[in-house]
Amino acid sequence: MASALRSAAHYLQLYGRLLGAQVRSQATYRGALVLDALGTLLITAAEFGALALVLPRFGGLGGWTLGEICLLYGLAELSFVLMDLLFGGFDAPNLSAHVRVGSFSTFLLRPVPLVVQVFGSDFALRRVARIGLAAAIFAYGVTHTAHAWTLGDAALLAGCVLGLICFFGGLFVVGGTLTFWTVDSVEAMNVLTYGGRTLISYPMGIYGEWLRKTFTYLIPAAFLSYFPVLHLLGRPLPDGLPPAAAFLSPLVGPAVLALAFAFWRVGLRRYQGTGT
Amino acid sequence: MTNAPAPARVRGGALLSPLALPWAVARLGFRRQFAYPQAALWGLITNTFFGVLRVAVLLALFGTRPQVAGYTAQDAITYTGLTQAFIMALSLFGWTDFMRTVHRGEVAADLLRPLNLLGFWAAQDAGRAAGQFVLRGLPMLLLFEVLWGLVWPAGALGWLQTTLSVLLAWACGFLFRFLVNCAAFWSPDAAGFGRFGWAVLGLGCGFLMPLAFFPDGVQAWLSWTPFPAMLNTVVEVWVGVQRGAAAWAALGVQAAWALGLLAVTALTLHRGLRRLEVAGG
Repeated sequence: MASALRSAAHYLQLYGRLLGAQVRSQATYRGALVLDALGTLLITAAEFGALALVLPRFGGLGGWTLGEICLLYGLAELSFVLMDLLFGGFDAPNLSAHVRVGSFSTFLLRPVPLVVQVFGSDFALRRVARIGLAAAIFAYGVTHTAHAWTLGDAALLAGCVLGLICFFGGLFVVGGTLTFWTVDSVEAMNVLTYGGRTLISYPMGIYGEWLRKTFTYLIPAAFLSYFPVLHLLGRPLPDGLPPAAAFLSPLVGPAVLALAFAFWRVGLRRYQGTGT
Repeated sequence: MTNAPAPARVRGGALLSPLALPWAVARLGFRRQFAYPQAALWGLITNTFFGVLRVAVLLALFGTRPQVAGYTAQDAITYTGLTQAFIMALSLFGWTDFMRTVHRGEVAADLLRPLNLLGFWAAQDAGRAAGQFVLRGLPMLLLFEVLWGLVWPAGALGWLQTTLSVLLAWACGFLFRFLVNCAAFWSPDAAGFGRFGWAVLGLGCGFLMPLAFFPDGVQAWLSWTPFPAMLNTVVEVWVGVQRGAAAWAALGVQAAWALGLLAVTALTLHRGLRRLEVAGG
């Protein structure tokens, strides 16, 4: 037990060092970094701003106010950005670049666990600014909904963030693992990751029946933020699901991540390098 | 130095017309787009998925309203189809090709071509845009027509005005993209500058939402920028929000922006190239 804790602390320290090296290198061109962070921030700000700008003309979106939508949008965005910081190394374009040029084979030679290295291989400092924006949108949602917040609600929302980080992290791991089979064209995963993020940013009742059911029962995204938010706003869950379904986020997310890492191990056994 | 450049000749020995070279560059730019059909297919699938989401959001916004700011729900669907169709052709998510040649020094080789540098890139990008429109734009429009039904330009005049508007939108967009890429002459890492530019483009050109839905103040402010000329005008002329004389006026604004951007971009490129010589290339 003590030795397990010691090695965990050791890996954490290694991970910290890998991040530190990247932070230092990215901070070299400070002006470029600031501009890059602003640009990254502006993409999200523009996307959200476009919706916020047109809502007054329409009054609402499928019966949801701006504050209520901010809860969904903020949850999705905050979790996705945090996940991107943590799991960026597994994102298919990054990992496939490592596989293609052969640096992934170098990972295997180093006396550091592979997963720690991949986790520490793509930490984009410019994304940090987006956390602030996402948190602000989320905070607007919390303060502009007619709801008396309790400690239990806060725990439920924290569980959502945790579940979503695991869920999207799992999708990144699956996408990264696919690059062991095919170096190109894993863009199909973008539909699930970036598409999934966009999908759960809006009330899922606005989508067609088949789309909503696919992202509820086949890909369990609805359990992670839509159902909990419905519950908090005092709205019934669709398909006659019991209220308990709103509390499954901290279970569903890690389950997806565990499955993804199982797939990762299968892929690793298959990995042979590109001969570079 | 004193010799005039020899007239370009083709195999038959006939003199090339001054447009033959840009035409050849454009044709190659067009054909290059068809090299990776699989990537195009996946791109189309991703665009369709996002199109479905965007249509759902717009229809939920409309609810039971028959018309908002001159758009019907069917116009809004058409707007979504058009924006999704033009993502690649008009490079709405950004474009860094020229930036790369500056950073890698390849621009020095491009300067040796018997063609003005801006003209060379314009021809190449025109071919690229046409190729992407055929490969990605037309199938997307067809898909939208099948899934939801589109509104089409009204009559021969509508088609003429729409076509002109698309060409002018490409010209304005290309010149703006090229201008942003010129930042590479001054900064070793112009990618951040680019990301900034593409974010402004996405909001300002009406890619994220039709500009007519924005509050009046925001619209008035945007009308002083070239961004609406890069996409929003095309949509308004296509669906008939602007028609007849109003459409001609909108085309005039697009043309004026194209000329203005041409002047600024050509000047910036000129200054950038002089700087490149100072730095030794």
